[in-house]
Amino acid sequence: MKNKRSFFQKLILYTAILSIAAPVIVLLLWSFASRWAWPRLLPAGFSLRAFEELFGPHSPVMPVLLSSMGISLGVAVLSAAIGTFTARAIALYDFWGKELVSFGGILPIIVPGTAFAMGIHVVFIRLGLADTVLGVMLVHIIYALPYTVNIMLDVTRSVGDTHEVQSRVLGVSPSRTFIHVSLPQLMPGIMSSISMAYIISFSQYFLTLMIGGGSVKTFAVMMVPFIQSGDRTISSAYSLLFLASTAAVFIMIEALIKRFAFWRDKTE
Amino acid sequence: MSRKIIALLLSAMLVMFSAVGCSKEKKQEEFDANADFETIVEQAKGSTVRFYGWGGDEQRNKWLDTVVAPELKEKYDITLERVPMDIDQILAKLSGEKQAGEEKGSIDMIWINGENFYSAKENGLLFGPFADKLPNFKKNIDENSEEIQKDFGYPIEGYEAPYGKAQIVFINDSAVTPEAPKNTAELMEYAKKYKGKVTYPALPDFTGSAFVRNVIYDIVGYEQFMDMEADKATVKAAIEPALEYLRELNPYLWNEGKTFPAASTEQDNMFADGELALSMSYSPYSVALSIEDGLYPQTARAFQFEKGTIGNTNYIAIAANSPNKAAAMVAINEIMSAKLQASQFSVLKALPVVEYSKLTDDEKAMFDKVDIGKGAIPQDELLSKRLPEMPAKLVPIIEEIWAEEVVGK
Amino acid sequence: MARLYGKVSSALGNNHIMRKLEPYVLLLPFMLLGLLFFLGIGNALLQSLGYIPALGLSELTLSYYREILQKPALLDSVKVSLAIALVSSVLATVLGVLLCAAMVHTGIAGGWRLQAIKLPILVPHMVVALFAVTFMSQNGLLARTLYQLGLLGSQGDFPQLLYDQNNAGIIIAYLWKEIPFVAYFVLALMSSVSSTLGEAAENLGASRLRTFFHITLPLSMPAVKKAFLIIFAFAFGAYELPFLLGATLPKALPVQAYVEYVNPDLRHRPYAMAMNSIMLLLTLAISAVYYWLLRKDFKGTGGGRYEK
Repeated sequence: MKNKRSFFQKLILYTAILSIAAPVIVLLLWSFASRWAWPRLLPAGFSLRAFEELFGPHSPVMPVLLSSMGISLGVAVLSAAIGTFTARAIALYDFWGKELVSFGGILPIIVPGTAFAMGIHVVFIRLGLADTVLGVMLVHIIYALPYTVNIMLDVTRSVGDTHEVQSRVLGVSPSRTFIHVSLPQLMPGIMSSISMAYIISFSQYFLTLMIGGGSVKTFAVMMVPFIQSGDRTISSAYSLLFLASTAAVFIMIEALIKRFAFWRDKTE
Repeated sequence: MSRKIIALLLSAMLVMFSAVGCSKEKKQEEFDANADFETIVEQAKGSTVRFYGWGGDEQRNKWLDTVVAPELKEKYDITLERVPMDIDQILAKLSGEKQAGEEKGSIDMIWINGENFYSAKENGLLFGPFADKLPNFKKNIDENSEEIQKDFGYPIEGYEAPYGKAQIVFINDSAVTPEAPKNTAELMEYAKKYKGKVTYPALPDFTGSAFVRNVIYDIVGYEQFMDMEADKATVKAAIEPALEYLRELNPYLWNEGKTFPAASTEQDNMFADGELALSMSYSPYSVALSIEDGLYPQTARAFQFEKGTIGNTNYIAIAANSPNKAAAMVAINEIMSAKLQASQFSVLKALPVVEYSKLTDDEKAMFDKVDIGKGAIPQDELLSKRLPEMPAKLVPIIEEIWAEEVVGK
Repeated sequence: MARLYGKVSSALGNNHIMRKLEPYVLLLPFMLLGLLFFLGIGNALLQSLGYIPALGLSELTLSYYREILQKPALLDSVKVSLAIALVSSVLATVLGVLLCAAMVHTGIAGGWRLQAIKLPILVPHMVVALFAVTFMSQNGLLARTLYQLGLLGSQGDFPQLLYDQNNAGIIIAYLWKEIPFVAYFVLALMSSVSSTLGEAAENLGASRLRTFFHITLPLSMPAVKKAFLIIFAFAFGAYELPFLLGATLPKALPVQAYVEYVNPDLRHRPYAMAMNSIMLLLTLAISAVYYWLLRKDFKGTGGGRYEK
């Protein structure tokens, strides 16, 4: 009985992995293809057009990729930090307006992107934040917060504050308690938040374009026009680069989680 | 909870907000477009100018970055920065800046035409007049031509300068379908023969919209639209025969006319993949480029209707709050030069805007030696069958009527 | 900066006041960003009421709303959006939980397999649209494979998954992205519950299946429900997939709003904003009902250590 269940579940797992890998392989194929017409299962023509576009001498792609990664990492860390503090307030304290805050946290996901971007644009111009990296980062953070707050909420609640209280009772100062007791326990959640926030920031197109006004060039801003133009060769190459760079960042984050491993005793 | 951390937070917040709080110096000196061109060139020296426009054509991007930009740098010491952004976002940005009273924006040059130009000009988002002050405009362009005076029937009055020309053509693969329908009647036969393999992009896609207008022209002629009133009932009455034709065409179309490709790019891909037998494009020579890139088969070719296909011009305009109008004018002027127009024709196969008869012999030679590539229609033949665009106001009305009267009917 | 920090630090010397203030201080960044957020929404709302002085529109009016609400196309659009969002979210939640359970029970919740499953979360929706067309169109890889296997006669025989009013392609595309999202979102909680209480129950003699349905799943519900709300709200309001993969008519609501937004006549902006506001209202209403029904899960510190 146990073996059968295990088999069934492994089947689910590997089916999922296969259906995820297949499109990515196709992406790889398209990046080097020129024509892939019916009824072929493999491309007919071979082309280095995309390669040249992305890595050619005149291409601004690599510097933009690096700066975009920097911006998104900044957004990710800040969102995780703010998410941690906010979740802490909601989970461990009782205060007026608590439910409102809880509910408000979900709003950016609910509000349509174009509406928000157009509305905030004028506000940002008046604040001098339009066309700046800081402005772009702020709106990215606003969009990432619902996720980071919710992730940290679950983690904060499940970790609770017993250890903290014990530590304080033993006379350890609040800051030391936080750094040496709470933080390690929250670390998996924080890393998850950072990953989530990073991907949200890195994929933003419309928001970055509206608020950054073209002055802030991110990788997504460069990539999307090609996807819209239907050029499959180049969009596939861009998408692959997108995925590869994001995967690289995630691997880095996972490695950092392993560093904190001895504070954790759960699976994963 | 640590006192220190809270204090840190508060301090950081205070610092951040003081940095943000300081207002920008927004007043800029008055720019005089009427000044001597030499003076303007002087003013533009050593500055950066930003050109905003659609960024999904990697060959055009490359041309701007590797041909136009170095030319401007070498000749005038102007740095051209190309910024990819869709026209609707550009207009949204400009109107947002206007609302906030931002006098010094970040957009200088805008790639624009048609209804978007109309809208931008009406709402005061553009700077001008400037086009007629440019030396190359006076020298190379036929100022009296209808297309230079009006954009989609709307007077330009010097608020934008011509950049390139476009004309809608049909594309198919002569090896798969030897027929090239010369009018709407033949197109109906073609659709019947290759059932399910013909369609057009859903309006309001630019190309799909042009196709429908072309069908209208072919069936009821075009002159009546040039000064028609922008009233739904009037327009509907005028295009009724064309609507009838389109409805009749539906059952033979891809998906039986119940649904249409969302954009022309989808249609192009379906054609490249062999799902469709026919495609259409506003860039008459895209066929040659696509064959070159290996996207289309070698036997693909472009063709037109006997009565002609719609052509239009696309332009460059200057934003009203551009921080560098001088360099914008110089750059735009240079793009209208014979050298860059010939380059655009040669590299991008985009129709030049210069008037051939006004060129010097040397300049004419630059254009003569351009090889238009496989499958394309020779320029003089293409232009001899060129129809004008109708006034911009009528276009959205036609698009609305199409959605109500043709889709799925 | 150090001086400022020192001053603020000493100002917070009084512990009693500090204790009371703590939550508010923690919430400060959130509140400030929230303020910015509401300013943005407020502005958008103003635009929907016709107030865009830059375009010469300076009268507040409900006429845009009235016009939109009178069109029958609006109801169709709402139905389409609701259908897509509901079907994809429910299916994604169920299947995502299943996937998560599989991951937890086989112990394969780490390493490269976890990364592989997380991959779709990294993929932007526009790229997912690309995948959808490549695989599911009548000219797509699935059709071609069937054709090569002799199971399909011609392109036209392959079912119309894309560009059709059944919206099947859009739903499948959302599923591809959202099943992994749900699985990942619930993973931490479910694996933690399973390894503690779940194991305890099994040690006491409960079967795997019983443990899952009576202990693991119910205790993971807070995360599951939140995941559902997130993907539902997103699927309802996002335009990319229905725009690229949907039928010409009826258009999903966010697509309709987008079409109004890119209309070259800038004076159509209030229409776009009004449609967005209607969308926002609908999602808010649904979320409010959802929150109200499940308020126990979101309240207080009751969700703390369940060992107690």
